[in-house]
Amino acid sequence: MSNNAATIELLYKMADDQLILGHRNSEWTGFGPILEEDIAFSSMAQDKIGHSLALYTILEQLGERAPDTVAFTRKANQFHNCILTELPNGEYDFSLIRHFLFDTAEALRFELLKNSSFEPLAQVARKVRGELRYHTLHANTWIKQLGVATEESVSRLQGSLNVAIPYALGIFEESPFEKELITSGIFAGEHELKALWINKVEEVIGETNLQLPDWKLQTPILGGRIGKHSEYLQLLLDEMSEVFNIDPTAEW
Amino acid sequence: MYGGGNTFEEVKTDSFSQEDPIKLAEFEARIERGEKIEPSDWMPQLYRKQLIRMIEQHGHSEIIGALPEGTWITRAPGFKRKMALMAKVQDEVGHAQLLYSAAETLGKSREQMIDDLITGKSKYSNIFNYPTFTWADCCFISWLVDAGAIVNQLANAKGSYGPYCRALDRICAEESFHLKYGHHCVIYLASGTQKQRDMFQEALNRWWPPMMHFFGPADKISIHTQVLMKWKVKMGTNDDMRNQFLDMYVPKIWELGFTIPDSQLKKNSETGRWEYTEPDWEEFKRVINGDGPCNKERLEVRRIAEERGKWVREAMKAPNQKYVSPLA
Amino acid sequence: MNSLDPRVIRLPDIGEVGRINPKPALDQFGTYEVFVLPKEGKPFQHEGIVHAPNLEMAYVLAKETFTRRFTCASLYVVNTLDVFVSPLSEGNQNVYDQIPQILNQNSAKVNYEIYHLPKRGKQHVHVGRVSASSPEEAFSIAKEQFQKEKIVYNVWVIQSTAIRYTMNEEKDLWLTLPEKKFRDAAEYKGGEKLKEFLKKSKR
Repeated sequence: MSNNAATIELLYKMADDQLILGHRNSEWTGFGPILEEDIAFSSMAQDKIGHSLALYTILEQLGERAPDTVAFTRKANQFHNCILTELPNGEYDFSLIRHFLFDTAEALRFELLKNSSFEPLAQVARKVRGELRYHTLHANTWIKQLGVATEESVSRLQGSLNVAIPYALGIFEESPFEKELITSGIFAGEHELKALWINKVEEVIGETNLQLPDWKLQTPILGGRIGKHSEYLQLLLDEMSEVFNIDPTAEW
Repeated sequence: MYGGGNTFEEVKTDSFSQEDPIKLAEFEARIERGEKIEPSDWMPQLYRKQLIRMIEQHGHSEIIGALPEGTWITRAPGFKRKMALMAKVQDEVGHAQLLYSAAETLGKSREQMIDDLITGKSKYSNIFNYPTFTWADCCFISWLVDAGAIVNQLANAKGSYGPYCRALDRICAEESFHLKYGHHCVIYLASGTQKQRDMFQEALNRWWPPMMHFFGPADKISIHTQVLMKWKVKMGTNDDMRNQFLDMYVPKIWELGFTIPDSQLKKNSETGRWEYTEPDWEEFKRVINGDGPCNKERLEVRRIAEERGKWVREAMKAPNQKYVSPLA
Repeated sequence: MNSLDPRVIRLPDIGEVGRINPKPALDQFGTYEVFVLPKEGKPFQHEGIVHAPNLEMAYVLAKETFTRRFTCASLYVVNTLDVFVSPLSEGNQNVYDQIPQILNQNSAKVNYEIYHLPKRGKQHVHVGRVSASSPEEAFSIAKEQFQKEKIVYNVWVIQSTAIRYTMNEEKDLWLTLPEKKFRDAAEYKGGEKLKEFLKKSKR
C-alpha cells in the first residue's frame, strides 16, 4: 500500500510538470522567432500535454479522479510541479534554456524508468523515447548554436541560465518516498537523476561559450513538489480552466 | 543544369501585350493540355505577379488566422480540446510556411513578404480582423471559416501553378482534421447546456456577416479576370464559391437548431442558387483598408513577434549564406 | 496591449507601433530541400523547404514542419544550392533526351542520389544512387540506368555527402506518430452525439 502512495506521488509530480510546462510552451504558438521553430516548439508542447495525459490516465487506473478533473479543477497548492515549469515564458532565451534544462532531466528520468518495476510507467517510458530524442536533439542544437553565435545571443542565454539554474535544481526536490521507490525498483531516485543531469548539462554547455555556476554555491529553489508555488501558478490555472469552469459538469 | 534555385527577377510590368508571342502560346498550350507550370518555366509577368500576390495573401491569412483561434489556446476546455486546438493553430502556422515557400519559388523572398504584411502593404483575409469573444467564436472559426477556406482551396488546388497546387494538396489533407474537429466542437455545444447553445448562437450572430464577406464581392468580369481564368490562376467566381459554401453548410447549421441571422436566406429551388441579404460591402471595404475591430492588434502582434525573434535570426545568420529561391 | 487574448496582453512593448526596419533584400536564411520517406519500402519524395541557418538546424526544423502528421519512416535535408537540376520538359518529351551522354571519367568517384519528376505538378521522387566523378557524369549515368519508357520531366542530382540523413538510431523519432490521434480527422466522429441530439430535439 505504501508503494502505491509512493507511485502516486511520483506520477503526480511528473504529470504536473509536463502539463504546466506544455501549457507554458504552447503560449508561443504563433509568436515564435521563425515559422519553422514556431511549429517545432508547438509540437513539443503537444507532446508534453500528451505525456501528462498518459500519466494522469495511469493515476485514474490507480483510483484517482479523471484526467480532466485533475488537470482543470485543482488549486495551485494541490499541484506538484516544480516551480521552474510555471514561471512565465519571458523572452525566447529563457524559454529555450528552460526547455533545455527541463527536457534533459525529463529524458534521463524516462530513461531510468524504462525498466521500472511499475510496468505501466515503464511502458510509457519506452514509448516516448523517440519524442524525447527529438526534444533533446532540438534543445541541444539550439543551445550549442546560439551559445557560440553572437555577443547578444551568448549574453541572453547566460542571463537566462543564471536565473533558471536554481529553479532547475528544484526539479530534483526529493519526495518522502525516495527510499521506497528505490528499494522497490520503481524509480532510481532524484539523487541519481540529478547526478546524471549535471553530467549531461555540463557536456552540452561545455561546447558553448556559456558558463555554468559552481553547483556547490547554488541554493535549489524548492517547494513545488509539496504544493508551495510561486504566484504565477494560480494565475496560469485560472486562465487554463476559464472555459472548463463555466460548467465543469458540461461536455465541451 | 545549374546548382540550385532560380535567380531573382523583379516584376516590372502589369500588362502582357509586350510578352513574346511564341513563348506565350507555348505557355497557354501547356495550361490548355492540363499540364502544370513549374518554377523554372517561362511565364508571363502578369501571371507571376498575380500568383505572388495571391499566394502571399493566402500565406498572410494563415499566419494572421492563427491569432483569433490562438486567443483561446491557453483556455481550451479539457485535454481533448486543448491538444486539438494547439495542433490546429500550429497547422495554420505550418500552412503559412508552405504557402510562403510556394510564393518564394516565384521570386519574392519570405522576409520581404513578412515586411509587407507588417507595414500593411499586402493584405490578408478580412475575416481575421474580427474578435473571438468566447470559446464558441473559436469553434465557429474552426468549423465554418475553415470550411469556407477549404471551398476556396480545393478550387485553387486545380490551378496551373505546380508549387501552389502541391502546397494546397498538403493543406487540404491537413484541413480535414480542422473541419471535423470544428464540427465536433459545435455538435457538443449544440447538444450541451442552454448556456453552451446560447454561446454558439451568439457567436453565429457575430460571425455570419464576416463569413458572407469571406468570399469577396461579386466579380466584375473584365478582360483581366478572363485572362486569369484562362491561365488557371483564378478558379471560380466569388459568388460560385459562396454559393457552394452555403449549399454545404447552411443545412448543417440548421440541423443543429441554430438560427442564421438573415431572414432572406433561402435556396431558390428553380435556380439552385442561394438568396440572401446583400452583405454590407462598405463595411468590407472599411475593414480591408484597416478600420476593422482587430486590424491594428493583429499586425502589432506580428510585428512584436518579429521584433522579439530578431536576435535569434541575427545570431544564426551565416554571413556567407546565399539565398536563392527554392526549387519546387 | 489590450486584447481578448491573455497571451497578447502579456506581450512586451517593443519597438514602434506600425514600424519595422525593412530587411535588406535577400538578407535571410538560406533554404533547404526536405525529403520524406512515408513508409519503409516506398521511395523518398520531395516535400518542400525549410528556412534554416545551417544543415543540422534544417534537419531539426524540417522534422516537425513536414512529418508531424500522417506517417513517416525517415527524413533528410539538403541545401537548395547543392541540388543539380536538369532542364524541364513537357508534353511527350522525355527530359533524358536532352541530357548529354558523356564519357566515363577516370577520376575519384562519389555517390549521388537521383530524383525524377514523373509528372508536372507532382513531387520529385528518389529513384536510386549512382557513383560518379561529377554531377554531369551522374546525370549521364542516371540516363543509362534509370531511363525507362515512362516519361521523366525533370531530374535532380544531389551528392550524398551534402545530405543530412536520419541516422539509424534516430529512426525512433516517429515511433508515436500513429498514436497522435488528436491530429487525426477520424478521431472526431460526432455522428453518435448528433443522432442522439436530433432524436431528442424531435421530441
